[in-house]
Order: sequence, then structure tokens, then C-alpha cells
Amino acid sequence: MATVEERVKAVTAQVLKLNVDEIKNEDNFTSDLGAESVQSIELVAMFEEEFGIEMDEDAALSVETVGAAVEFIANVCKEQGVKVEE
Amino acid sequence: MSKAKKKHRLVDTKEPNLVEDIFVHSLPPLIRFEGAAIENIDGEAVEFDFAGIKDRPIVITDTTFRDGQQARPPYTIEQMVHIYDLLSKLSGPNGVIRQTEFFLYTKNDRETLDRCRALGHKYPECTGWIRAVKGDFRLVKEAGLTESGMLTSCSDYHIFQKLKFRTRKECMESYCEVVDAAFEAGVRPRCHLEDITRADIEGFVLPFVERLMEMSEKVPEEQRAKIRLCDTMGFGISYPGAELPRSIPKLIYKLNREVGVPSDRLEWHGHNDFHKVHTNAGTAWLYGCDAVNTTLFGFGERTGNPPLEGAVMEYIALKGDTCGIDTMVITELANYMRSIGLPIPDNYPFAGRAFNTTRAGIHAGGLRQDERIYNIFDTEKLLGKPARVAITDKSGADGVAHWLNEFFGLKGEDRINKIRVHKLARWVIDQYEVEGRLTAISDQELEAKAKEFFPDHWAKYAEAK
Repeated sequence: MATVEERVKAVTAQVLKLNVDEIKNEDNFTSDLGAESVQSIELVAMFEEEFGIEMDEDAALSVETVGAAVEFIANVCKEQGVKVEE
Repeated sequence: MSKAKKKHRLVDTKEPNLVEDIFVHSLPPLIRFEGAAIENIDGEAVEFDFAGIKDRPIVITDTTFRDGQQARPPYTIEQMVHIYDLLSKLSGPNGVIRQTEFFLYTKNDRETLDRCRALGHKYPECTGWIRAVKGDFRLVKEAGLTESGMLTSCSDYHIFQKLKFRTRKECMESYCEVVDAAFEAGVRPRCHLEDITRADIEGFVLPFVERLMEMSEKVPEEQRAKIRLCDTMGFGISYPGAELPRSIPKLIYKLNREVGVPSDRLEWHGHNDFHKVHTNAGTAWLYGCDAVNTTLFGFGERTGNPPLEGAVMEYIALKGDTCGIDTMVITELANYMRSIGLPIPDNYPFAGRAFNTTRAGIHAGGLRQDERIYNIFDTEKLLGKPARVAITDKSGADGVAHWLNEFFGLKGEDRINKIRVHKLARWVIDQYEVEGRLTAISDQELEAKAKEFFPDHWAKYAEAK
């Protein structure tokens, strides 16, 4: 099973139409990866679908980097009892 | 202007000050005053107590069927009776919309008047409008009216250039003869001082009105002449310090305090040629006219008159209370007027289809967090029209979410958050970025997409509908 980090990067690559190998943990979704307003919403929606979780809208949208998203999603998975590879 | 600069320190707080004593949201923002207003008149500083307006018996009068009808093809009798009925409902039990005036010259004019009165409404009271011709008071009397407006044009443009009087004296005598005829007929004359804002105030207007007041002393109170200040060309100025004849404060002061026309017999009638019509009417109220004359949606000769619905909102803002006015009828009247072919621009205040519709996504975001940020007051409560967003490429997911929630009528916890609208938001963006669209997306298109992307919500909506 892929790790949270791998899955986050795969979803990010798919939504933002990027090569997954180009995405680094320190990348900012907006300034480095070019996510526009609606793409940020799509990212959150696709993360929810990928992991089978529900995230608080404002908290999820305030996450700025890929690495922070990995950490945030891992915590939500733990809170909601969803098993993932760390 | 002599005060020195003053330091202003930041008052830091974690609690917002939303100034809710003024912006109550359940009413239009209140208009409050501090201290007296000062106007320099003939070298003296004269005080006006604006705050006292809360206790003054100010009213709105209507001329939709007279001046309003001069700007459009005639209404049918049925249309006028229906509009009158709605005006009465809007006015409420206290008669805030106190009077409306009718032509009396044709069979249709008289039938309209009869049918409106047959409805049995106390307000608005029906009054007439005639030329300054003695014989015309017979029409007023026959119609059973107790008050009628009559033209008493007062600028030299009218006296000499239009009416061809040889002297002002001849003009004044002619007007006074007609006023006498009104008194003899037992009718209260409402003298329409046409073109007052470019008249010779000291040389004609004040002597003429003084004469009218003297004549009025000989008749019962209910018959005494009323004075309508007609800003025929929209030249009136509300600014303190403006000169006569354009100064509204000075005009009203001269008539009210120097000549002694009581406030309840003074009325302001404006035109919008310089975009000043609503503020000028409000100014007239503040400086001492108890009545402002208006038309529905401002329709009137050329650029129109003070909009009645604007005066209604001003009235509530000044009084701090609806005083029995049923503001929801404004929307009913707007829908009816549109249905009979009167165009109301979409962005027209209070009545346009999109007067409280925002197109910017960032504004929609504000609306989503707290409606008060971008809605002027509770437009759903007062006008039956919740704040809306129009969807374009600038609307963002916030705008789409707001549209959907308003469309489905979802409140509180039931509202769909913007994460859930991502598919519809993507469809909107693609309309512009992929399809090259240049127009706003219509409600009909969005409804079709709402049905496609939100079948569960749609089913509930369709069932409730």
C-alpha cells in the first residue's frame, strides 16, 4: 500500500496536471505548484475521496504546503479511524 | 477649521464593533444626527433641528398617476386601480403614503378615480390636478374631491416666456383669482410653484405666497392653501451655503419661517435632471417640508421624480421604525410594473432583479461568512429578496456555493460547503477557460447543473416546490 505522502503527491499531480516526481514536500500549493482558487477546492475534495475522510473546510484550505497536507491528512485519518501507511 | 491636528490612538480589541445601533440589519441603516445643522441666511446663522424629524408628522405623497404618467403611455383603468390598491397596502394603517393625485379631464380619468375610491381605502387620499383655470374647479367639486393641485408657475421663464403675462402683478392677480375660485368651491388649493429653483424668490415667490397665506386666513383650516415647491428642472441644491434660488434649505426657511407657511402645508416635488432627486427630497424633509412628492420607481417627466420606494426607505431610516409600512409590497409593485411593460433596470435600488446580486467571488465569500458584510440590510425580510450572486468566471467556489444554497433554500448546518461544489465550480471555470464564454451563466443553466450534480438536494427541492 502506498504511503500518505505518495498518495497526496499522486492526487496533487492529477489535479494540477503535473509530473509526480516534480512535487516536493516543501512546495507551496499556490506559489510553487500554481494551484488556482478552484483547484484548491478540487484538491481538498479529491483528498477526501482518496482517503475516505471528511475535512474541516476552513482548516483544510489553510494548509499551504504538500508536507503540511501529508501531516494534516494523516491526523484526520487517525481521528476518523481510517488506516493508512505512514 | 481652526482646530489643531489631533492624535488618534488605535483602540485594539478582539471583539468587532459592528456599529449595530445604526446598522440594525432588520431595517435600513438608521440616519442619526448630532447637534443642530447651521445655515447662513441673510447674514445670520440659523439652526435646524434635524434630530426632531423623528417626532415630526412627515409623509410621502405620490404622483405616479400624474407626473409618472406623463413619462409613459397611459395606464389602463384596471392597471391604475391595481397600483392604487398596492400603494394603499404599502402605505399601511398610518398612511405614510398620504395622498396621490389624479387627472380629472377625461371620462377615463374620472372612472379611475371613482373605482379607486370605491376600494374604500383611507390612504392614500385621492386629490386632483388641474390647470390654473377657474372653471376647472367645477371638475374637482363634481368629483367630490376636497383638494386639488393647480399650476402657479413662478419663475420669469414661465411667467413671461411661457405664459406671456405682461407683468408679475398681472400674473399674481390671475393666480389669486383661481385660488379664490377654489375657496368658493370649497376646495383646498395646492399651489404648485413651478420652476421655483430659478425664480425670483424675494421679488415674486415670497410676496405671492404671503398673499396666499393672507387669503387662507379667511377660510377654514382644512381649506387653507398648501404650497408645493416644484423643482421642475432639477436645479435644487441641498448643500449648506448654496445661494437662492437653488438652495433648498433657504427656500424652505423663507417660506416656512419668514412667510409662515406651516410645515404640514409645504411639499417638495423634485426632478432628477442632475441625479440629485432623492437627496433633495430628503433635504426638504429635514429643513421643514412635511411632505415629499414621489412616483413609483422614479418614473416621471424626463429624468423622473423622487422614487417612492427610496422615500419609503429614507422614512424608515429617519424614524427608526417601519411605522406600519409593508415594505414587501415594493417587490410586488416592481413585479407588477414589469408585467405591464415598465422597464426597471436590473441594478435599480430595492426593486431591480439584481440590486443585491454580487458578481465578485471575494464578495460571495463574504456573503457566505456573514450576509451583513455585502447586503445592505435584511433584504429577504423587508423585500422578500435574499442576497444573491451572479455566476461568472470571477465568482469562485464561494459564489457557486452561495448560489446553490440560496437556490435550494438551505440554512445553517444544512448549507452545502464549497468543497462539495467543486464539480459545479469546475464546470463554471471551464465555460470560460475552455469554451471561451463571455457572458454570465443564467439561472436556468445553473439549475440544470444543480439537478445533475446534486440529485438528492434537487429531489427535496422539487418535492417542496
